[in-house]
Amino acid sequence: MAESSNSRKRRKIDPDSQTRIQPETGPTRWRTQAEQQIYSSKLIDALRHVRRGGHGGVRDAADRVLAASARGRTRWSRAILTNRLSLRLAQINRKHKKAARPSAGKSRPRKPAKKLPPVESKVKVLSRLVPGCRKVSLPNLLEETTDYIAALEMQVKAMTFLTGLLNAGAAAPA
Amino acid sequence: MNSGLPEMLHCLNSTSENCEMSVLERQRSRLKWQQQQQEHLSHHHPIPYFNGNDHLSFSGFHGDQALSDLVLNGGAMKPDPDVEHDDFRRFMNYGSGTTDFQMSSALPRTVSCPPYVAAAASVDSAAGKESCKKRKADRSPKIAAEEKKMKGCAEEESKITEQNSNSKSTTTTISTSANKNSKGASANAKKASDAPKTDYIHVRARRGQATDSHSLAERVRREKISERMKYLQDLVPGCNKVTGKAGMLDEIINYVQSLQRQVEFLSMKLAAINPRLDFDIENYILKEMFPACPPPMEPDHPHLQFNTSVEEVSGSGLEMVVDPMDATLRRTISAPITVQQSFLDSSNLNQIQQVTWEDELRNLYSMEYQQGRSTPFISQQITGFLEANHVKLEM
Repeated sequence: MAESSNSRKRRKIDPDSQTRIQPETGPTRWRTQAEQQIYSSKLIDALRHVRRGGHGGVRDAADRVLAASARGRTRWSRAILTNRLSLRLAQINRKHKKAARPSAGKSRPRKPAKKLPPVESKVKVLSRLVPGCRKVSLPNLLEETTDYIAALEMQVKAMTFLTGLLNAGAAAPA
Repeated sequence: MNSGLPEMLHCLNSTSENCEMSVLERQRSRLKWQQQQQEHLSHHHPIPYFNGNDHLSFSGFHGDQALSDLVLNGGAMKPDPDVEHDDFRRFMNYGSGTTDFQMSSALPRTVSCPPYVAAAASVDSAAGKESCKKRKADRSPKIAAEEKKMKGCAEEESKITEQNSNSKSTTTTISTSANKNSKGASANAKKASDAPKTDYIHVRARRGQATDSHSLAERVRREKISERMKYLQDLVPGCNKVTGKAGMLDEIINYVQSLQRQVEFLSMKLAAINPRLDFDIENYILKEMFPACPPPMEPDHPHLQFNTSVEEVSGSGLEMVVDPMDATLRRTISAPITVQQSFLDSSNLNQIQQVTWEDELRNLYSMEYQQGRSTPFISQQITGFLEANHVKLEM
């Protein structure tokens, strides 16, 4: 989607923005039964290969499968898929920065509060919740949020189904 | 598209100088057009659709706030919406398709306003002269003449009463927007001249609102944001009660957080069950993975294993069917292993294999979802369960 701006940029016109809403491209695609089935099957595959132990191993696998199902059209999905590499790097960098940060003369970087409007702060919170959307403008952020919420709902449904399945399977022979 | 459009455009283009003749032609074609439209209109919800259009932007329809107000007010009026809205919709579709309206180059101000829209918007009664005048006018001094003509024409010939009231309101809007037109004339002119080259989104300025480029762009942005917030409102339960950005954002944040917590909880549950799966599946996979050259060894193991599971599970005389199933079983068994590897290593799904895997599992899961049958199979292995279902399905 093109960014809005004051300058005369080229932009797509209405029929395109309307087709965007349709299934297959919009957030409504997460509602279909087919999508849930695809996700469940892929999730089962991924679960087989989850490394033993480690907190959040299953959670990460589930998220990655979800992001893969998004086919890379949304920002958050791409962010999740590339997160593995960048997460490690970020951790390393953070450690380095903590060690190298000079203690003197930098005691008040946070004092001046630039923006106080509640809307703005909430937007920041939301951008932190949606993966990969920290520096995204508000209209795009809202779009990503829509898709992310739809995808999360689908994920919850599929995982509930799976746990029910496996629980029943575990309970039967016992 | 309707056949009336091109011929009307042609009329307009060819006789842009000669106002009188084109007016008659336009009127005739417009009447024809409207007749055609009357046939077509059936299933549209004009008002909601049009309100949606308010937020969206139109290409080629810029510069003349008066006209925009006309159409806006025309849209707001209930009695005669259909014709105008259909016209408008077609215009929009048409306008979006063509980037270089010849009209726009010739007539910077009212520019690419197709005659039927102008006519429909500007009171059927008063079509002739003042539409011509509007199209010719490209400087603010002409607006005064326009106003007078509009008023005059509107008052003399009023065919339809609703549109008569329509015209009255529009004349007032023209007068009020006339002042603002002069401010934004330069910006609009520039926009007009650029229109033929690229297709812009042109926003209509509403009554009482500033028309300079900055505020217009801001308004577009705000409208985009509000449109997206509306979608979110539908998606997030309980968002309808709260209004305003802050409240809705609060709800959205809470909802996202709760969804994420649910996923976390479910993943913990799955992790608790997972080790049992892993054990069984690892045993199975070890048998698969050991042979360096899989093909000769493979057929035996899965065949044997699945023979037993199939017989146990379905027990409905599947022996004869098992042999043809071998090929599919083998395929499904070998496929997922490679698929998982590629998936986890590079996060890129092997599309070809994935497709077959997906198709088969989709069948499986469709059966599952419909019947909810799952329990007796899990006892074996997950893959065993899957293949057994698959076999049953093939049957």
